[in-house]
Amino acid sequence: MSEAGPLHNEMVTLKIDGRALTVPQGLNLIEAAKTVGIEIPHFCYHPHLSVAGNCRICQVKVKGSPKLEIACNTKVREGMEVFTHLTSKEVAEAQAAVLEFILINHPLDCTVCDESGRCKLQDYHYKYNARDSRFLENKVRKVKAKPIGPYVILDGERCIACTRCIRFCDEITKTGELGLVGRGDRVEISLSEGRRLDNPLSGTVADLCPVGALTHRPWRFNTRIWFAKEAEAVCPGCSTGCNCRVAVRDGEIVLVRARLNPAVNKEWMCDEGRYGFKRFLPKPRLVRPLIDGSFAEWTVAAARFKQVLQGELLVFVAPDLLLEEYALLKEFLSKLGQKYSVVLSYRRRTLNALQALLISPDYAADFRAAEFAGLVAGDLEASYNETLQRVREGKADGVLIFGQRALLEEDIDDHVLQGLGRASRTAAVLSSAESKLSSVLGVVLPGQSILEKAGLLINGSGRLQYTSRVVEPPWGTKPEWWIINALAAAFGIKLGVSGDESQLTEHYLKNEPRLAGLTVSLLSKGGVALKF
Amino acid sequence: MGNHRQILLANIKEADQHTLAGYESRGGYSVIRRVLGMEPLKAIEEVKKSGLRGRGGAGFPTGVKWSYVPRNSRKPVYVVQNADEGEPGTFKDRLLLERDPHLCIEGMLICAWAVQSRRSFIYMRGEYCFPYMRVNQALADCYRAGYLGDNIFGSGFSHHMTLHRGAGAYICGEETALLESLEGKKGQPRLKPPFFPALAGLYGCPTVVNNTETLAACVRVFELGAEAYAQIGTAKSKGTKLISAAGHINRPGVYEIELGYPLERFIAEECGGVWHGRKLKAVLVGGSSFPVLRADELAGVNLDYESLQAAGSALGSGALIVMDETTDMLAAACNIARFYAHESCGQCTPCREGAGWVAKIFDRLAAGRGVVGDIELIESVCGQIAGHTICAFGDAVALAAQGFIRKFPEEFKARIKGAGKHLPNGAEDVSRLKGV
Repeated sequence: MSEAGPLHNEMVTLKIDGRALTVPQGLNLIEAAKTVGIEIPHFCYHPHLSVAGNCRICQVKVKGSPKLEIACNTKVREGMEVFTHLTSKEVAEAQAAVLEFILINHPLDCTVCDESGRCKLQDYHYKYNARDSRFLENKVRKVKAKPIGPYVILDGERCIACTRCIRFCDEITKTGELGLVGRGDRVEISLSEGRRLDNPLSGTVADLCPVGALTHRPWRFNTRIWFAKEAEAVCPGCSTGCNCRVAVRDGEIVLVRARLNPAVNKEWMCDEGRYGFKRFLPKPRLVRPLIDGSFAEWTVAAARFKQVLQGELLVFVAPDLLLEEYALLKEFLSKLGQKYSVVLSYRRRTLNALQALLISPDYAADFRAAEFAGLVAGDLEASYNETLQRVREGKADGVLIFGQRALLEEDIDDHVLQGLGRASRTAAVLSSAESKLSSVLGVVLPGQSILEKAGLLINGSGRLQYTSRVVEPPWGTKPEWWIINALAAAFGIKLGVSGDESQLTEHYLKNEPRLAGLTVSLLSKGGVALKF
Repeated sequence: MGNHRQILLANIKEADQHTLAGYESRGGYSVIRRVLGMEPLKAIEEVKKSGLRGRGGAGFPTGVKWSYVPRNSRKPVYVVQNADEGEPGTFKDRLLLERDPHLCIEGMLICAWAVQSRRSFIYMRGEYCFPYMRVNQALADCYRAGYLGDNIFGSGFSHHMTLHRGAGAYICGEETALLESLEGKKGQPRLKPPFFPALAGLYGCPTVVNNTETLAACVRVFELGAEAYAQIGTAKSKGTKLISAAGHINRPGVYEIELGYPLERFIAEECGGVWHGRKLKAVLVGGSSFPVLRADELAGVNLDYESLQAAGSALGSGALIVMDETTDMLAAACNIARFYAHESCGQCTPCREGAGWVAKIFDRLAAGRGVVGDIELIESVCGQIAGHTICAFGDAVALAAQGFIRKFPEEFKARIKGAGKHLPNGAEDVSRLKGV
């Protein structure tokens, strides 16, 4: 529901297109219609921005009102009767008229427009107007392809002046970089004097743009969107867990867009997360196991790995494994019967006020899940630093490094490498082929990135969310949960959760009493807040 | 020539009327002194009783507007004088501001007392340079004399007044756009709801926005007494009105008439008739925002709110643009359509795109490149604009354009050369493309 949504718990009953519905007071007609599956088209309205009411496409007929009303600015009232384009010819004609007006000065350069294929204007025109143009005049010319910030580029002619981008910069980031200049059909989105659109959430305006006026510079002319496959993922950049939609073509990420989740990121995303997905897919990838720095067969490496686990263990885990993997690791380690201690590579970071709007002060997407699984507890950063110090001082004998980010890149110094080199039993699951650790570790298995797995994550505020697989893992790599299962089998340990990927999450949810009743399909719709 | 009571313009010809001394020598600032001793609610009652209606164009009852302002609001209450006179053909406020600025200030003070406002703004059209200088001087004189500022006229009431110049946008005459502009933003009308000025106006506070002439008339309402003022004019249109007469007439200028005065007589007598002995062709009444009236439609029409509405036009701001028989109506339509295309604020889609489109079609007709169906197209586009926008600007675009093509269809049809000419996309005429 929107922020401007329900003020009271009082419910009102009204009719939309003859269908009776009961919704909370304070809801606008667009949101109310959504609850019964009626889509009232809209460009300028956004549930988390103020109402501008300028695009005029959401007009509806309200019984008793002489003129058509805009649904975005009309709140539900008891006994109200509303007719949308589905039942009112007048409304359908007004909508077609708005589309005709928008298109008369629109450049219609869909053939080279990045938005094409996911453009609201295209969709609405196809659905609600789809008629020939009656416009015989010259179109108004405006600025084309003007970079307005490090990540966003403006095409003035495609702009429909819905002011979503302006309202985002005014109301959410409160940085006010953008404004509308000019009058009439010459209005243009423009930067404020001497400014650039460079706030930490700047890429969001390109998401909010309902047409192709604002597009992402890093992904310009990347692909026709219909050739890409989109996954509904959760950003692994920090523990905010922003919902996003990641488009991939030929194994390359071609577009990352925020996905609406009122409880997490509304529909915003930070530039660092959005344009930083590549760092979770290291290149070149480790695709074969290593023993003492040289390639080895899986069977040989697995046997060596098994040896490492026989004795006291210091375990470093990455902060971006799946909840299922943390749970499996916890169960495996406790059933193994060896003394062990686990630390998670958690490090706080300082953020300025603008970054703190959305970014969490860490790089640890899923540390909460490790806590939930009972793998780690207490002051994560302190225990990580202490354990790292023990390694540096050569006081560690058996070390298991689980995940590419189990040791932060900045922490891998000569002392750590020497300390690891001196330990008698060392093993790791890594995904980069160029990790400095490979040369000093006894055995390394090729793991997978969080973007190559589907499963559960818990964000910093304790919200359990499901993330889909974004890219296909390279041949030869294995997901961490598979490796744990294989090691358990080698020890003859039976784990509570097993099975293949498609069953992993369902299996885990069924076996975890604290998550009773939850299913993947339920968690895919915005997630569930956990209390722990 | 009709013998009209000159109320607003009574002293306009006095050379020193714009000075504080000159204004006071003719009874100036005596009304506000008396009003400051009245109950504010009683003052509003008086204005209601006088039947005074807004002189800016909409004709909303002034006293009723004032009564919408909440009493004892915890927010400050603002009074704004709308001196952004931009309606084509209108120049009546300019005369008042230039020649009788203190009258405008005194009217504002009456309003300020009635709604208990301590801060007011005069929003003046940017192009009004001379009136700006006059009002600026008048304000300075008032502050020096203790008529503005703290404890005005020794009454214990404080009121501060600020003069602000617009930047040349017609739309800033629309009251909510004016408030946006006054707040330092781009002048664009606000959504109603939630922004009704009386409740959430300037800076979100209760605000009264009144036209210059309306506020000046308030002084006369209290000077004459509400009953006496209500005696002037007709049953529903009370008082006098300034008419800006322009166009093809012998004596253009600002005239004060009693409401209800016959329009034809006004043109013949006050305006000295159509120039060069030519015949009357059409009149734009109330500025450009209402349909044009043909000469044959003027019989029996009076200059007041209800008579002009019955004739299909409106009194509006009281502008009269007279066109003689030689006027090219297409050229006139082009002129006005271009004006609206230029002045649309660009906020809502139908008006932003439609106003430009209409102007382009008229221009194409004027350039001899009209095609069959163009007139129907203008009708259709106007129908798609009117009633679908945030403010009344969209309606004005449509009313003005439709007025011309409906009243003078043959003139427009005659300009479409080569009837039956085919459209570039193969359609025989535009009407074929109309249906969904």
